[in-house]
Amino acid sequence: MIGPIFRWIKGFVKPPQSARLDLSRRQLLASGAAGIGAAYLFHTHPLGRQRSYNPDLVRPPGALAEEEFLSKCTRCGECMKVCPTNGIHPAAFEAGLEGLWTPVLKMTIGYCEYECTLCTQVCPTGAIRALTVAEKQRVKIGLAYFDRNRCLPYAYARTCIVCEEHCPTPKKAIWFEEAQVTTPAGEKVTVKQPRVDPELCIGCGICVNKCVIKGQPAVLVSSVGESRNPANGLLLNSGGPYGG
Amino acid sequence: MARKQRTSRLVWLRRGVQGVFLLLFLYLFLETEYHPINLAGAHVKLFFQLDPLAMLTAWLASHAVAAGMLLSLATLAVTLVFGRWFCGWICPFGTLNNLCTSLRGARAKAKLETGGYGGWQKAKYYVLVVFLGGALFGVNAAGWLDPFSFFFRSMTTAVYPVLNDAVSSLFGWLYDANPGIGPVRVTAVSEPIYEILRRHFLAVEQPHYVGNVLIGFLFGAVIALNFVRPRFWCRYICPLGALLGIIGKNPVVRLNKSAEACNNCRLCLADCQGGANTPDAGQWKPAECFYCFNCRSDCPTEAISVGFGTQPDSHEKTAVVK
Repeated sequence: MIGPIFRWIKGFVKPPQSARLDLSRRQLLASGAAGIGAAYLFHTHPLGRQRSYNPDLVRPPGALAEEEFLSKCTRCGECMKVCPTNGIHPAAFEAGLEGLWTPVLKMTIGYCEYECTLCTQVCPTGAIRALTVAEKQRVKIGLAYFDRNRCLPYAYARTCIVCEEHCPTPKKAIWFEEAQVTTPAGEKVTVKQPRVDPELCIGCGICVNKCVIKGQPAVLVSSVGESRNPANGLLLNSGGPYGG
Repeated sequence: MARKQRTSRLVWLRRGVQGVFLLLFLYLFLETEYHPINLAGAHVKLFFQLDPLAMLTAWLASHAVAAGMLLSLATLAVTLVFGRWFCGWICPFGTLNNLCTSLRGARAKAKLETGGYGGWQKAKYYVLVVFLGGALFGVNAAGWLDPFSFFFRSMTTAVYPVLNDAVSSLFGWLYDANPGIGPVRVTAVSEPIYEILRRHFLAVEQPHYVGNVLIGFLFGAVIALNFVRPRFWCRYICPLGALLGIIGKNPVVRLNKSAEACNNCRLCLADCQGGANTPDAGQWKPAECFYCFNCRSDCPTEAISVGFGTQPDSHEKTAVVK
């Protein structure tokens, strides 16, 4: 019994010529150096070590802090397949070349469904950690903001409350301020102008998805204030919006 | 030319196992969707959890591993002792490339020219080392070329949306046009079929993904490369295959090629999937072998047998029939 085991181990140490991989030491070193060099290139990209944040890079809920997320994500597409709103997409360069094909939310195509944790269930590597529905509903993946040059009550003196109606948080993260505005005909009317409460908004993006202005909606979500990257906050030195 | 051999039972067994795992992969792909209430399908991450490349690079880059990924240690253990069976019997992307290679319908002469071992097969080991080097310094990009990630990502963002759209529009067209003769209409057949497809295979809503064109193009290119060389992806690119090749280069299951029985017809090269055979009789590259046993099945003189044993000592001269 010892003999064969010994010979087996010897096969690893001193394989016969025909069974060798014949890899060139020089090319192996060059390959390793290429990988390490690329790693440093990626690190020194402004997004690499969180020197800056891409507002368009909204990750699924449960996604780890960006650096940790990228070190785990295997870009398999499970979260993209399972997302019931078709909201998760393979990134192009939102996270730099390093983040090619990692998941990013596109709110004009889908959004993050309030009662859903499917992407957190299917991630095989833990880049998106498993969340209960209650936990997920407290995670901020971004923050909505209005484009007052496009939003109907601001830009055109028209009534519209679609975003507020869809807002899923128990206390609506979109609230109204009544304002007296002038129509193109010169008529004075009162409209409800929507605002975002940064304490309540979790960045789910359903307001973006349902906004009546298509293409480039009048309400958008950026990654600022996301729970996973405390430094990507609204206020300096905060653990999220308003100190968190 | 040697007489036509019957495909061996071992090869049919291997094909069966491959089919089961490919179907399992596709089943789990379809299961990766919403189930009431708020549940993804069970075990949908299984193949990724069996993937030692994903585990290793994530561990190197993040110094932590999701508990489920430890299942991949079983893959490593089996490969260490028995060799790269995973590529030949289990990997669903390997099986897909295997199928496409079979479909190319190459002539025997072309098969003999392209079937054997070639130096470019080393490329995948360098691909692996690039990813490992990056992972060691915190960048885990192996998912670009990890076979399960490549396959699943392409299926999700490119292949499935295309199939879903094509099938839906075909049945939609049949429903609208409803051709037929007299009272016999096509919809009498097409609608029940559509109902089954809709219930079990089609998406609730047509999916659309940003970046689908590039991902679909790359997937198509990898499939097309099977026409250049058998299982091109597995031989030249796959970093998981490279990892398993390194781990499994000294297996205890061995292909014994008898130099005495060999008539040097080189038919063992014709259907070799991994490019593990060299024209020299008696020689075999275990790191490239998928244990498909096509060579054993093809050999007209039954010179190739499978057995347990250890690597022959390096000082032994391997007999070569010229």
